[in-house]
Amino acid sequence: MKINRRKLLSLIGMSPAILAGASSSADAETQAQKKSKAAASKQASSSEYKVVGVNPRGVPPPITLIPMAERLPTLDGKTVYLVDTGFHGSDALLAQVAGWYSRNMPSVTTVFRRKAGPYAEDDPKLWAEIKENGNAVIMAVGH
Amino acid sequence: MGIPSVPMVTKAFRELATLNAAKRGMPHERIAFTPHPVWGKTPDELRAYVEGPDPVSGKPLMKEVVDYLTVPLSDDEKKSGEVAVSTGPATYGPDTPKNLQQYYLDNGMTDYLPIIIPTEEAVEEMLTGTSHKPDEPLGKMAAGAYPPWTYTVRHAAINAVMAGCRPEYFPIVLAIASSGIASLFSSTNSFAFSMVINGPIRDKLNMNYGIGSLGPFAQPNATIGRAWTIMSKNLGNGGIPGDTYLGSLGNNLNYNNVVIVEDEASSPWAPFHVQRGFKPEENVVSIFRGLGVVPGQVARGSSVNTSPEFDKQLSDLFSTFTGFFGALVIADPLVAKRLKEQGYETKEQLIQWFYKNTVQTVKDYKSRNYAYLFDYPRALQGVEPYASWYKMPDDAVIPHFPRAESFNIVVSGGQTNAYPQAANMSYGVSVSIDKWT
Repeated sequence: MKINRRKLLSLIGMSPAILAGASSSADAETQAQKKSKAAASKQASSSEYKVVGVNPRGVPPPITLIPMAERLPTLDGKTVYLVDTGFHGSDALLAQVAGWYSRNMPSVTTVFRRKAGPYAEDDPKLWAEIKENGNAVIMAVGH
Repeated sequence: MGIPSVPMVTKAFRELATLNAAKRGMPHERIAFTPHPVWGKTPDELRAYVEGPDPVSGKPLMKEVVDYLTVPLSDDEKKSGEVAVSTGPATYGPDTPKNLQQYYLDNGMTDYLPIIIPTEEAVEEMLTGTSHKPDEPLGKMAAGAYPPWTYTVRHAAINAVMAGCRPEYFPIVLAIASSGIASLFSSTNSFAFSMVINGPIRDKLNMNYGIGSLGPFAQPNATIGRAWTIMSKNLGNGGIPGDTYLGSLGNNLNYNNVVIVEDEASSPWAPFHVQRGFKPEENVVSIFRGLGVVPGQVARGSSVNTSPEFDKQLSDLFSTFTGFFGALVIADPLVAKRLKEQGYETKEQLIQWFYKNTVQTVKDYKSRNYAYLFDYPRALQGVEPYASWYKMPDDAVIPHFPRAESFNIVVSGGQTNAYPQAANMSYGVSVSIDKWT
């Protein structure tokens, strides 16, 4: 099968002008000018050639909206769990959060917990504990 | 949980946290941001973070947290239901190839190198490389802890065209896509991926397992590896910096991954796919994931001036690897033959030697990043061997890798010199290519 180099080059976005050879004659400037005009002509021709591309993307799942949990009327007298996901420094940051509550909102009880397992793993046991004993959660994901 | 919650996230992950919350159904999640990073900071510095402003909103951080837990929800925050997600029109154009090239690039659908425009004609030609129907569901893929995208054989064909594959390569591309493993992963770690190809298809496609076998010297090696990355972007929604890709430095290996075609004829040992239970005549692609590849020449004792002991060289090379991933040895046939001369009749014998002789102290082990992030939480849960290792004294000596199965060996290369390479990568899965012809 004959190769249509012009079409192939166009398909990857390159100008077919690259197919033009280099001048070796004495009147290089004149030759170059002629080639430039020819290339420009070919470029215009190329720009008229149009194709349709196909969308390569897969199918994203629909998003199921989750209503957020109702907020508390106040934090006074409430228990706030401070959950460390295990990233570097999260525990130290949450220690400062606990300190802030003790200085600024002393009626708030803070409970520190490190989530079980590596950071991406779920910890249903801790979630059950928080639901049983806590009123709010601050989760620090660190780095 | 039904309990009001506020995630505190460092500023560097603003897009990630916001977009991930939206993808998971909470587009209005109340997220408080701290300065970045928090690791390595003194208590006084972290106290300043907590007492200072949220660097995104500019509001006092802890007042914001209190508000997020107590200010009543808006109507939007209470919404339920389902929202469809679109990836745009089915086709682009008609337009000039140059403009379309730019369109694919500007919309994050390429690896930022020129692609072959996937016209309908080119996709149809690619589909001649398989007997499977275009609309057959092929798999689902996620480039991290995200809801996965799904795709068909035709979707894979479009991406294979873009990568420059020929139709006869397509069964390998389909096998990779069917694994559902993305070669771009949302982590700050800049992970790398690799594939090992075995079976007669290696010669049928003229794949390179000789000189420069890991380099850019053969069309199937180059384009099949590239197709995996482009698919990871377009089929798995991966590789969006700040959203589904967070590698701090990135990884040059992600351009076309590490395509390893085993030299089965020159190897003194059984081919990798046979080790995994396949027949020699079967065509198989095996997938690895991890961090990167290092050359054996940097190991202690790597001089081949006298009688090289590649077992010790490689073991030394592994000493910098994380045991979280495995060690994948890529042995030039000259190295493999020498190892057999040393007495290793099978890959399994060499693997056992690696496991027993690649060791570290508990102190060194605990100082490693992955030990803290992954092994220590498991140790707290009583998972072995980590639970026992964390109870040992600092000067106790333990295996560098948790199990012998952490090691894998393949043979490839041009035999111009006895140089092995090794990747800090774990074996994932082996997939039949023949199933996709």
